Amino acid sequence: MDEYIGKKLIQLKINGERFSAAAEPHETLLEVLRNRLGLTGAKAGCDVGECGACTVLMDGKPVLACLLLAVDCQQAEITTIEGLSQGRELASVQEAFLAEGAVQCGFCTPGMVLATSALLTQSIRPSEEDIKRALAGHLCRCTGYNKIFAAVQRAAGTDRGKA
Amino acid sequence: MSAPDYVGKRVLRKDGPVKVTGRAKYTVDMQPGGLLTGRILRSPHPHARILNIDTTRASKLAGVKAVITARDTPGIKHGFVETPRYPADQWPLAADRVRYVGEEIAAVAAVDSHVAAEALALIRVEYEPLPAVFDPEAAMAPDAPDIHPRNSRITDPFNNIAGKTESGWGDVAEGFARSDYVREDRFRSHLRTHGYLEPQATVADCGAGGKLNIWTSSQGPFIKRAKLARTLGLSQAAVRIQHAYVGGAFGGKIDLFAHEFCAALLSLKSGRPVKIEASRDEIFSAYRHGQPLIVDLKTGVKKDGSLLAQQIRIINNCGAYRGSGVVVIFLSWGFAMLPYRLPNLAYEGFAVYTNNPVRAPQRGHGAPQVRFAVESQLDMIAAELGLDPIGIRLKNARRPGETLPNGDNVHNCGLIPCIQKAVEHTGFHQKYGRGRPTAGAKDPLRRGIGIGVSAYFSGSLIYPNSSSVVVKMNDDGSATLLTGALDIGQGAETILCQIVAEELKIPLEEIEVLAADTETTPVDIGSWISGNAYVTGNAAREAASVVRRKLLELAAEELEANPDDLVASDKSVYVTGSSDRRLSYAELIAAGIRRRRGDPLIGEGHWRTLRDVPYHPSLATTKGRWSENYAFDAQVAEVEVDTDTGVVRLVRAVTAHDCGFPINPLLVEGQIDGQVSMALGHAFMEEVRMQSGRTLNPSFLEYRMPTIYQMAASEHIDVITESYQKDRPFRTKEVGEGYVSAILAAIANAIYDAVGVRLFETPFTPEKILKGLGKI
Repeated sequence: MDEYIGKKLIQLKINGERFSAAAEPHETLLEVLRNRLGLTGAKAGCDVGECGACTVLMDGKPVLACLLLAVDCQQAEITTIEGLSQGRELASVQEAFLAEGAVQCGFCTPGMVLATSALLTQSIRPSEEDIKRALAGHLCRCTGYNKIFAAVQRAAGTDRGKA
Repeated sequence: MSAPDYVGKRVLRKDGPVKVTGRAKYTVDMQPGGLLTGRILRSPHPHARILNIDTTRASKLAGVKAVITARDTPGIKHGFVETPRYPADQWPLAADRVRYVGEEIAAVAAVDSHVAAEALALIRVEYEPLPAVFDPEAAMAPDAPDIHPRNSRITDPFNNIAGKTESGWGDVAEGFARSDYVREDRFRSHLRTHGYLEPQATVADCGAGGKLNIWTSSQGPFIKRAKLARTLGLSQAAVRIQHAYVGGAFGGKIDLFAHEFCAALLSLKSGRPVKIEASRDEIFSAYRHGQPLIVDLKTGVKKDGSLLAQQIRIINNCGAYRGSGVVVIFLSWGFAMLPYRLPNLAYEGFAVYTNNPVRAPQRGHGAPQVRFAVESQLDMIAAELGLDPIGIRLKNARRPGETLPNGDNVHNCGLIPCIQKAVEHTGFHQKYGRGRPTAGAKDPLRRGIGIGVSAYFSGSLIYPNSSSVVVKMNDDGSATLLTGALDIGQGAETILCQIVAEELKIPLEEIEVLAADTETTPVDIGSWISGNAYVTGNAAREAASVVRRKLLELAAEELEANPDDLVASDKSVYVTGSSDRRLSYAELIAAGIRRRRGDPLIGEGHWRTLRDVPYHPSLATTKGRWSENYAFDAQVAEVEVDTDTGVVRLVRAVTAHDCGFPINPLLVEGQIDGQVSMALGHAFMEEVRMQSGRTLNPSFLEYRMPTIYQMAASEHIDVITESYQKDRPFRTKEVGEGYVSAILAAIANAIYDAVGVRLFETPFTPEKILKGLGKI
């Protein structure tokens, strides 16, 4: 049997660079990112779209990479956690997550950070409800969300009285 | 002594930058070249004899590289506890019998997961189903099916007893006779699970003639190496467990799991790297969960609320193998007796085999279940005697310096200030008793306030019992910290760096951590026995102070000064009073190499708890010392109950905690918030639902954990009972497990305060509230 029968060439723009990979029709975007391109920042926590750990940005919007077939993502512009910071500089959302102690085990962090980035691109001063809605699909078992919530507010500049 | 520069500060996580940029490598991210996918065949029966396993067709399938069953193993059992009384009782792969749905029978390694799944489908297993039992009290009955051969010494007169703990002191009969009020209640807790986000996963890579290299999602590599090597029939020298970050554990990833054994054996058989990653469905259906306990509690008090006697009987539905089920019945004794003075106690705990999946520790390991019972009943007693719930707690609370009946000492116990500060902070007395429904009130919402207290041990003597740390200096005066401790999210790397930074006056950025590798780092007690800050922390302090002493000795020689006049500061050493007589660490290190013929500056530190005590206390009798440090806390919950729908909302959760001193307050807060959230899930949302040994809700969608919409309003109050003193052993206490318990009890007590409904069973569902209100 030929390994390559049925594989499709997937072309993606990931973190500003063009990538192509031969993928099976049933392969998800998450599998292609993790297994074929070595971008393991997006995590498979449940593989069925319930935990949010696989979140990446597609054309600027958060998507669940475990639910998307790679073949349906042709030519899409993808931002993964690896592409969020510029060189050695952390993005302001990443800085805010560190400063507020919003990271513990770190497994949900890439998805949380990307969802927050997308929120702050859309909405300059998100309300508390905006923040909750943006992160409602992201499970975190370590923090109880308190410090994540504070980090989003800090990144948005809506935290009260903090530097 | 000057104020600390690094300890006690809200320092940012050492592992933060790699985590926010997605560069932190977890076990699931490891992808050695030529990686095979492993999968496991599981039992569909809760109890059955295995008559035959035929793997012929699976082995012949193209793309399958190895198939294993019990026949391919050295036939060595394992268990969470392995003692003469409680010998290992579980095969890594089931041999002739399966005892729960999901028990591992065979495993395959193949070129991809699809081929592996097809191979599993080709394995033929013939079973002879046996009668099964799921309820612990039914399993104790004389006519219940035997799940394991009987050990009459432990089990008589009951059936299926996996373990029994008996303890006590004083004379309870006399205590009850002298009591003005005695009451007896039964409390039940339900089955919950850890909900770690990183699935259970292992990568095993055994090259020809080489070591077996393992990456596994765990809570510490040393216990994994010991158990894995033994069950594989290998020496520990043949197995290396390497560092991988861990995406949450909460007690669910401690001892040996079948997928770890199988990945290793499949790699040994195939000569290829093998990864086994459990699906979320497998984790919910077949992996180890927490422990549902039945707590029978009889308490006698004087009119003034002083506790006179308590009789406690715990029944643990411990699943098909012992797991940690025989530990939780020991620990429940401890969590029952810790916070309050108890002159007479009679305690018995039973771990009962049933045909359910095996149990593991789950954050708090018995404390939430036990504190829920004790604290709920204490409120009932107070109400019955017309006493204030705070007063009755203060009356019985342990005080600093008290010796516990087992010989341990509570030292600088801050329980009383914890209670007082939590009460003051919440205005408890202004709110308590005002929430009950009044006739004619139209608003269906009622508010209530409640309190609970708890205590937790900080490290005990379970393999590997101790921690060692090495600190080595680099040419430029920076340092490298080698520790076997594994950061599972709690911040182990960060606090150890803070301690080394404090002792050596080196900024955190200039300390590199190498952690949790059985080959390159020293042994560590593990991130599962609440001993990291105390045990590993003191080892780190000692290692760093050895280095500092060496630096000061060199400086004394170089500067021709008295060592007592020297001060280490800012990566340099100077003479007190003449700060221009100063040498940098880099200069001193160079001098050391010159003068000492190449001696580098390396320090080692070792620590264990209870240094003069040989063993862990007896699981059977609780005799022996348990821990050196106990953390105490009081938690207050304010709830809002909708009397129309029965829905309860946790409005406010205040934690006053005595952790000695917080090495990193930011991390302490994170631990508290996370535990309050977990308790909220425990109270209202989470339940693994099972029927005849099968899990009915094996997904995050159906096992509902708190989302950001259920974020609790968590507040923290530090009760600091110790100060950090350089070069002196510290008694700082745990903060990772102690705060899931009192808050659960506080919620139950607050519900009673709001609507007068007393709950004896978790979770606190709308149905139970409405039943209590007589509405359904």
